[in-house]
Amino acid sequence: MNFQKTRALLLKTVAAVALLSAGASAKDIKLLNVSYDPTRELYQDVNAAFARQWQAKTGEKVIIQQSHGGSGKQARSVIDGLDADVVTLALAYDIDVIAEKARLLPRDWQKRLPNNSAPYTSTIVFLVRKGNPKSIKDWDDLMKPGVSVITPNPKTSGGARWNYLAAWGYALKKSNGDEAKAREFVAQFFKNVPVLDTGARGATTTFIQRGIGDVLVGWENEAMLAIKELGQGKFELVTPSVSILAEPPVALVEKVAAKRGTKAVAQAYLEFLYTPEGQEIAAKHHYRPRLESAAQKFAADFPKLDLFTIDEVFGGWEKAQKTHFADGGVFDQLQRSNR
Amino acid sequence: MKKQSLRTLIVILGVQLGAHPALADDQAELIKQLLKRVEELERTVEALQGNRDTGTKTNYAIAQQWMQELDQKVKVLERNRELDQEEKEAKAKEALKISVDERGFAVGSPDGSNLIKLRGLLQVDSRYFINDATGNANDSFILRRARPIFEGTVFRDFDFQFVPEFGGSTVQILEANLNYRYSPEAQLRIGKFKSPVGLEQLQSDPQAMFIERGLPTDLTPNRDLGVQLWGEVGEGVFNYAAGIFNGVGDNRNASNLDADDDKEFAGQIFVHPFKKADSFFQGLGLGVAGSYGSQRGVNSLPASTGGILPGFTTDGQQQFFAYNPTSNAVVVADGLHWRFSPQGYFYRGSFGVLGEYVISSQKVHRTVTAPLTTGQIDNKAWQVAVSYVLTGEDASYKGVTPRRPLGSGGCGALELTGRYAELDVDDDAFPLFSDPATSAASAHSFTVGLNWWLNKNIRATASFSRATFKGGGGAGTTPPTIVTRQPENVVQTRVQISF
Repeated sequence: MNFQKTRALLLKTVAAVALLSAGASAKDIKLLNVSYDPTRELYQDVNAAFARQWQAKTGEKVIIQQSHGGSGKQARSVIDGLDADVVTLALAYDIDVIAEKARLLPRDWQKRLPNNSAPYTSTIVFLVRKGNPKSIKDWDDLMKPGVSVITPNPKTSGGARWNYLAAWGYALKKSNGDEAKAREFVAQFFKNVPVLDTGARGATTTFIQRGIGDVLVGWENEAMLAIKELGQGKFELVTPSVSILAEPPVALVEKVAAKRGTKAVAQAYLEFLYTPEGQEIAAKHHYRPRLESAAQKFAADFPKLDLFTIDEVFGGWEKAQKTHFADGGVFDQLQRSNR
Repeated sequence: MKKQSLRTLIVILGVQLGAHPALADDQAELIKQLLKRVEELERTVEALQGNRDTGTKTNYAIAQQWMQELDQKVKVLERNRELDQEEKEAKAKEALKISVDERGFAVGSPDGSNLIKLRGLLQVDSRYFINDATGNANDSFILRRARPIFEGTVFRDFDFQFVPEFGGSTVQILEANLNYRYSPEAQLRIGKFKSPVGLEQLQSDPQAMFIERGLPTDLTPNRDLGVQLWGEVGEGVFNYAAGIFNGVGDNRNASNLDADDDKEFAGQIFVHPFKKADSFFQGLGLGVAGSYGSQRGVNSLPASTGGILPGFTTDGQQQFFAYNPTSNAVVVADGLHWRFSPQGYFYRGSFGVLGEYVISSQKVHRTVTAPLTTGQIDNKAWQVAVSYVLTGEDASYKGVTPRRPLGSGGCGALELTGRYAELDVDDDAFPLFSDPATSAASAHSFTVGLNWWLNKNIRATASFSRATFKGGGGAGTTPPTIVTRQPENVVQTRVQISF
């Protein structure tokens, strides 16, 4: 082969490779999932599985980027212009705010997917130090003098709102619906909180890495993950008798997805969470699956307890938010009286 | 060992809290109490250690519990302090950025995407004419420039500027423009701003070397209305500007609308060939600029500063040439107007030199009184200006920054300046378009001056200019004849504040 032929072949090869790469990159689809703090590991696995499935089905490569932070803060970022194709947040209220203020999705977004758009659930449990030195078994034990409770600030953390409402709901049940006693109970609960972190991950850091407190109140999935990865053999999970059914919702940010031309793939991404594969991934990351078959398969991993929903006890997120967490609401009043 | 660590931790914590006055007040007492308890515990532990052998394990366990409680309290304090710090940092990130400094007053969004600045320029001058004729310009104090400057940025890439002028005899909008910064290399400006032709004209007013610009500026456009693509390539090695404008007469500012359908193209290319090299010529800048268009009407002729009819002025802002033909004829612009200007400067250390040549060619028409004729008048001017900073600071196109400002242990910066300039009016202008008995055919001017840069914001200047004329000086008591009857000798002073 002479020099000219070699050069021609080389040029053709380069051109072909360039064309192929251009074709491939043109088909790449990028999605942004704006989520809350403790879902990092869950969505890493979900994203990989969905990308595989989508490519097998359509031949298109999909790259899903993740953004994590406090649920309320993430919602504000979307309102302020962060181009999220989907949001997977801690509270339905945070997505309601996006729908209301930025009008990026319909107000009835929660009806667009099964189970109130919450493909998996969790609950609020306790994480204690090895041997449970303060003998914490249920909510009442958190009120004892000398027990130091770690929970984030409900004003800044979605997870903390679930903790607060779980405690309130327990007290209401125990007192047969006496609001005054529930209020007193939660006031005492926060008297035992020496540090109010801004988010769930911060509270976990305070409890596990800084060694502060006797008990961490938080997401069941976060507590299980902490035991597994951060403190094997150093911590124990305590499941209270009663807790709240936490339903972290997901939603398609319709206007953004339509603008970016990602509506179909983003919708498929959310629907994937309801499939047996998606449900198993959720269960492996310690979220309680909705699908019966997955729930049975992982039943041993999730302790049984009496769960109540936010609708049953508080009349929904909007009402709970307004009553308890709005400026001047019950939480602010309790904090003032605790000073 | 553990006791010592705990005590050290408390002491360190106390020191850190002390560094934060807001926390120190609230928590100093708590730290004191903690230290007192540590001392008590130390005594207890020592006693218990002595008793351990005797089997008093209960007391030892109590002491251990105390230690654990204390350890928790210290950790809680430390964590709360961390959270306070995080909250402060988060708030600082979200807070508006407000600054008041030598560059003016600025309020910006935390991410810098939006910014509003208030700046200003005030120049108070005095002029004293030596041995001038009766009826000549008055010796006076002058409010030469008085400008609030509003500027800023919106949506990160869009800059705006609004500059009203309250100095002089009329209030006007001097600059009002929007600039889209796609990149340093490609920017688009629309509105009212300086047309990119005259080198000295383009120099910012507070940074100009002399109280008044030289004779070549009489032949260049001032602010004009239009749209311009411009940019800096290679970090300023290559600079360009090209735009389409309404078109203005020489040394005129545009009004807010156009008087005719004709437009003018203007542009400049300016290079700093050695800017990135470690060379003797690093401060060398060379360029060419020009304009091409069509202008009509009396307002498209040069400015009428210092007189009634359009013409050219001296350093003392007196008119030495006017389009003032005899027999009550009136001259108007009547078509093609082009300018061409090679230009350059060189700055090295305290020394600087700036030079430019301008030719401005305007087709004019004589009306009202016969002969009703036209002519293409080519006027030319050039100048060389030098400066030397006596106090050792660097000279530059953007002024001088005193190394030791007055009031900060220094006396500011002193800059000595000198300039020679000429303006030559086309012979074809006489006598049909200008009266040779009253208007000068050329002016020659030299100026010496001293700039005292007290600091970055305040400058005091004194200068002496002498202009001599060829032609003119005939009968009459109004400019330009009264001006050209003798050389102009003017002492000028200026006090300027700009920020």
